[in-house]
Amino acid sequence: MVTTITLNNVEKRFGALDVIRGIDLQIKPGAFTVFVGPSGCGKSTLLRMIAGLETISGGDLLIDGERMNDVAASKRGIAMVFQSYALYPHMSVYKNLAFGLETAGYKREEIDRRVREAAATLQITDYLQRKPKALSGGQRQRVAIGRSIVRDPKIFLFDEPLSNLDAELRVQMRVEITKLHERLGNTMIYVTHDQVEAMTMADQIVVLKAGKVMQAGSPLELYNNPENQFVAGFIGSPKMNFASVSVADATGVILNGNRIETGRALTGKTLTLGIRPEHIDIGDGPGQVICDARIELVEHLGGSTVLHVLPPFQQEAMTVMLSGQQPCRSGESVALRIDPKNCHLFDSEGRALPR
Amino acid sequence: MGAIRRNGAGYLFLSPWLIGFFCLTLGPALASLYLSFTRFDLLNAPEFIGAQNYVRMVTADPKFMASMKVTLIYVALSVPLKLAFALAVAMVLNRGMRGLPIYRAVFYLPSLLGTSVAIAVLWRQLFAADGMVNGILAQFGIIGPSWISNPNYSIYTLVVLSVWQFGSPMIIFLAGLRQIPTDMYEAASLDGASPSRQFWRITLPLLSPVIFFNLVIQVIEAFKAFTPAFVISGGSGGPINSTLFYTLYLYQEGFSYFRMGYASALAWVLVAIIAVFTAISFLTTKYWVHYDD
Amino acid sequence: MTDAVHEMPGHGSSHPRLSGTVRHVILIAICFVMIYPILWMLSGSLRPASELFGGDAGLIPSQVTVEAYPKGWFGLQINFGQFFLNSLVIAVLATIGNVLAASLVAYAFARLQFWGRGFWFALMLGTLMLPYHVTLIPQYVLFRSLDWVNTWWPLILPKYFAVDAFFIFLMVQFFRGIPKELDEAARMDGCSAWRIYWKIILPLSMPVLATAAIFSFIWTWEDFFGPLIYISEMRNYTVQLGLRSFIDSSGTSSWNELFAMSVLSLVPIFLIFLFFQRLLIEGIATTGMKR
Repeated sequence: MVTTITLNNVEKRFGALDVIRGIDLQIKPGAFTVFVGPSGCGKSTLLRMIAGLETISGGDLLIDGERMNDVAASKRGIAMVFQSYALYPHMSVYKNLAFGLETAGYKREEIDRRVREAAATLQITDYLQRKPKALSGGQRQRVAIGRSIVRDPKIFLFDEPLSNLDAELRVQMRVEITKLHERLGNTMIYVTHDQVEAMTMADQIVVLKAGKVMQAGSPLELYNNPENQFVAGFIGSPKMNFASVSVADATGVILNGNRIETGRALTGKTLTLGIRPEHIDIGDGPGQVICDARIELVEHLGGSTVLHVLPPFQQEAMTVMLSGQQPCRSGESVALRIDPKNCHLFDSEGRALPR
Repeated sequence: MGAIRRNGAGYLFLSPWLIGFFCLTLGPALASLYLSFTRFDLLNAPEFIGAQNYVRMVTADPKFMASMKVTLIYVALSVPLKLAFALAVAMVLNRGMRGLPIYRAVFYLPSLLGTSVAIAVLWRQLFAADGMVNGILAQFGIIGPSWISNPNYSIYTLVVLSVWQFGSPMIIFLAGLRQIPTDMYEAASLDGASPSRQFWRITLPLLSPVIFFNLVIQVIEAFKAFTPAFVISGGSGGPINSTLFYTLYLYQEGFSYFRMGYASALAWVLVAIIAVFTAISFLTTKYWVHYDD
Repeated sequence: MTDAVHEMPGHGSSHPRLSGTVRHVILIAICFVMIYPILWMLSGSLRPASELFGGDAGLIPSQVTVEAYPKGWFGLQINFGQFFLNSLVIAVLATIGNVLAASLVAYAFARLQFWGRGFWFALMLGTLMLPYHVTLIPQYVLFRSLDWVNTWWPLILPKYFAVDAFFIFLMVQFFRGIPKELDEAARMDGCSAWRIYWKIILPLSMPVLATAAIFSFIWTWEDFFGPLIYISEMRNYTVQLGLRSFIDSSGTSSWNELFAMSVLSLVPIFLIFLFFQRLLIEGIATTGMKR
């Protein structure tokens, strides 16, 4: 049985401060959902509201159709992995895993069976008698996950669980958590500020900003069809380039004196055009040349080359990502070339124009 | 519903203090405020007499004036001396000193023992006519007075006792000094600042919150001092009221003469003095206490 | 050796002019002056009564004898054993009350959400400044009406109601340093507020509980004013009151006995100091460092 979570116009206020401002959301059963957004967007608060660690100021939280607003955290069938792991420092790993079960009044044999099973799954059996202090970062992370799975919850919540690990371990744990989800099949919600983590792990991404959902959808949906300029800029690395353009006619815009055929019905006078760095090319080839730009900086990443170029039509530099190793030098001038099909257009309020 | 449960848990845990606060602190404090306007001998019901207790204090009670004078002298002398000594020793002890824990412990010991009767007994003998201090003076051919029984000197023996207990503010100073980043001194040395300039321009300003804290605490404690004066003077505050600490006078009025209305009035005057002092300290902080955030 | 320490960068850089050796000389001299009176008292308690008091500021008695100890012990109608026992019982019971009540209240202030928390906390801090003299007389009237004068109740019972805000403050400071996520994890594990307090907060707070217990014990042991007011019968006396009576009843002839009993009264504090001085010093430093 997999669990559905539904949020209906959920709000959170701290005094006069609105942190969560009317969120409607359907968390798909059995999916790995990632809440992502810049710091202060309310993603952790929203997670903690689902967990029951923060009260809900308005709206309804439903788990499998049942209203959970006033149900105690421990009665919601939820387990949570904290950013700092929150392992009880005075208890051994075994005790850490067993504590919740003891609290719930399970029998000794049942506790022992479940603890050993979880420990085996996470390969921490050898450390059961150690204190958290004597474990490495990755081992602590596993214990924290172990503590959540022993209770056999319906829902797992993760609050930025990888942010305390070094880069290498982070990649490794990312894979492990994804595998864990595949094996258990539970509904999981994962909070991160790192859009790469979101893209690599999620079935469903929810992008939040200032307490509101900007867009929810699969990673590729968000990448291909961002509903607004914020999501377009947030998802994808390096960030999407934006340029101000004027409307030329019913379907075309003018950028640097060149008409670009957008294939979309246009209104208004000025729009913002968005183009991802990986969708810009240089030199000769197919597509439409938009301008010559001076290279400010070249970053050789080996597998790809990133150029920071200064186009003639704006002050801000644009980013261009080329595959492979390119013999570019800063100071050189290059022709920028795009395929109009890859352009995104946003109106003055930042909303995307439908394709 | 959740809110009620949460509040319930909070107030349940708070309940010991709440009961104590209302029954043993607030209630009695208000009662004593009322008693301060009465004549009350414990046996008969309190008799309301308006502000007479307070009027008598300032117009017709030389002992009140004497005790106030003694206490103010004691506070004004002992607190600055004690804090200066505590700071000086803390400065010498600061930073990577060998044997620091031992020194710190030895300096702290008197603070810990200080309020016991035994130390007051010791002080009485140290400064007695045939005591240790005069014994030492005799080595240099000086015949010392009887410090304790001479009204000109007795208060100073108590000041010395207070300064002797400089350990606890010293520990707070040490903790404060440790908060000052070493690189600040290194930068100052590179800028050519002399040690004394470093002290006045770096140490003192950055330590000022701690100095402030110590000052407030020590002044309040000094106003409340009781045991040494009681033991050294045998409870009389003598000779000639020269060690009649305010609290000792309050005790005499309340529990020797059973003038409990008057003693209550004395207590409230003490509160007023402490409140005024604390308020002045807090109000002047912006001129001399440096907070870096 | 000491110069090497001095020359290391960062060490003693606030006083480049005071060399390590000079500092040690100064400090040892101060130590000596500080400790000398106590040693002198100890030495005095080991002298025969016949040895003249005045003039001898030295530490070495002409003749060492412990006769003052048994004589002083039985110097009053009731012996000091009773006083020590009384003091011990009062101090232990008061300490238990202080630690228990203060930790409960501090947990509420540090961790629980409830209406009016900031208000009560400010009031609690306010009582830190309030001199006890203000509550003294009505409390006396209250305990007298309960017929508790000349019993130990007035010295013990208030501690079970956390009247000493210092201990609450000390513990609040410590509890706030325990990561909040531990409480939240425990809540997710199904713990009630009580179970979090008992299973998470208290086990992690042993240092501050010990500090509070030690201070509480020492202050109750040394308390003179409370027993002076409430205890009138000698069989209920604490050590401090016993010493006071001893001063009154003995002339200068038995000063060595007085010293002997004074020394004994300090022994428990000294032992605690010897074993727990780290905790005491940290306790002072942390409460002093509030911001």
